[in-house]
Amino acid sequence: MDQAYIIQFAVSITAIVVLALVAAWARIPRKVAPLDESSARAVIAEELPDTPVDRVWVDAAGKAAVARAGSEGVVLFRVGDGFAVRSAPWAEVVHATARDGQLIIRFHDPAAPAARFQLSPGAVRAPFAEATA
Amino acid sequence: MIDLPFDPIRTAIPLFIALVLLEIAAGRFWRAKVVYEGKDAWTSLLLGFGNTVQTALMLGVIATSMMWVYSHHLFEIRMTYWWAWVVLFFADDFIFYWVHRISRERRIWWASHVNHHSSQHFNLTTALRQPLTQLVVGQWVPWLVLIWLGFPPAMIVVQNGVSLVYQFWIHTEAIKKMPRWFEAVMNTPSHHRVHHARNPRYLDANYAGILIIWDRLFGTYIAEREDDPCRYGIVKNLGGFNFLRVAFHEWIAIFQDVARSPKHAVGWLFGPPGWSPDGSRETSDIIKAKWRERVAKTEPAKAA
Repeated sequence: MDQAYIIQFAVSITAIVVLALVAAWARIPRKVAPLDESSARAVIAEELPDTPVDRVWVDAAGKAAVARAGSEGVVLFRVGDGFAVRSAPWAEVVHATARDGQLIIRFHDPAAPAARFQLSPGAVRAPFAEATA
Repeated sequence: MIDLPFDPIRTAIPLFIALVLLEIAAGRFWRAKVVYEGKDAWTSLLLGFGNTVQTALMLGVIATSMMWVYSHHLFEIRMTYWWAWVVLFFADDFIFYWVHRISRERRIWWASHVNHHSSQHFNLTTALRQPLTQLVVGQWVPWLVLIWLGFPPAMIVVQNGVSLVYQFWIHTEAIKKMPRWFEAVMNTPSHHRVHHARNPRYLDANYAGILIIWDRLFGTYIAEREDDPCRYGIVKNLGGFNFLRVAFHEWIAIFQDVARSPKHAVGWLFGPPGWSPDGSRETSDIIKAKWRERVAKTEPAKAA
């Protein structure tokens, strides 16, 4: 490979790393408070305005929430300083696997394959597991 | 190969870096409206780098195509004709408008262009967050028409570069509005915030490159409103920062759709994003119609 290309490649990577580090150092992200029920409801209402939800469960870290909308489960989860929302059949949400104190809720979506729901210390089941009726 | 009289993009790279640093400083020290998230900025910059790799890989095919078309050109247009640059400025911007519009409104091109829109932020690193596959899906082909007419390939490459450099500075929240005359004619941060917004009101709007006049002419212009602040990203935001997922998620989704239902391949590829044969998904038009209906009932003043 031409030496000029190698130099250009190295300089570009260095510039990217420096800019990303400066961006992280500046600490100017969007301010996001931990989720509670009303803030979770507000985000869901904005993202899925035509989907009325019944109950809402917020995870122990305040970074994810699960809501039930009939036979559908609505899952809200933090991505950086923003949120992503996905729906999945309620039966699949309820039967999500728990591992290391986290519930991993999977979606059939290459843009968002899974969300993590932090369980309370000592809990082995999701707080919404009882709401299967 | 194509000999350029000068390369606007390469010349502007130090300026890009300086302006990103200045924007971060404005947010950190002068409390300007600037929001940066480390992982997001890193992903955007990596995509920008990936885009340059794509260009390097595709250069041979594109340059060869350009030279072949130029060998059959209709008119003799030289780089030294001042009027040729004026005509090219408008022609290039006109083609950009339509290519940009199609890349938003047809899924095969959206699969590539979505990379540029998938950040939940709007800052100068978003400008560098460029697709990895837009050359593969032929978004350079429409410019061959200009070469066939007689514009030398080098002129096209330079003007494309000028357009890209212009569009860098409009990716910011730090600048609220430009003077009214400027907002009327030129693409500005305010117009481009609307283009990157995911609010139903703002979907599929302001496709301009340099001149906003094309949106005004073709009915896609929407003004930014204080009572509906822009929220950035895509209709269904990404669930993480994994580079490969960010870069290729829509391609994977298309592949899955076509594999599941091959007889609808044309619709999956060339329908609008959100199209599905059974209507179970939502296109921009459906999202907008539902929003209008909802707002007309609850806040009629906002629906205007």
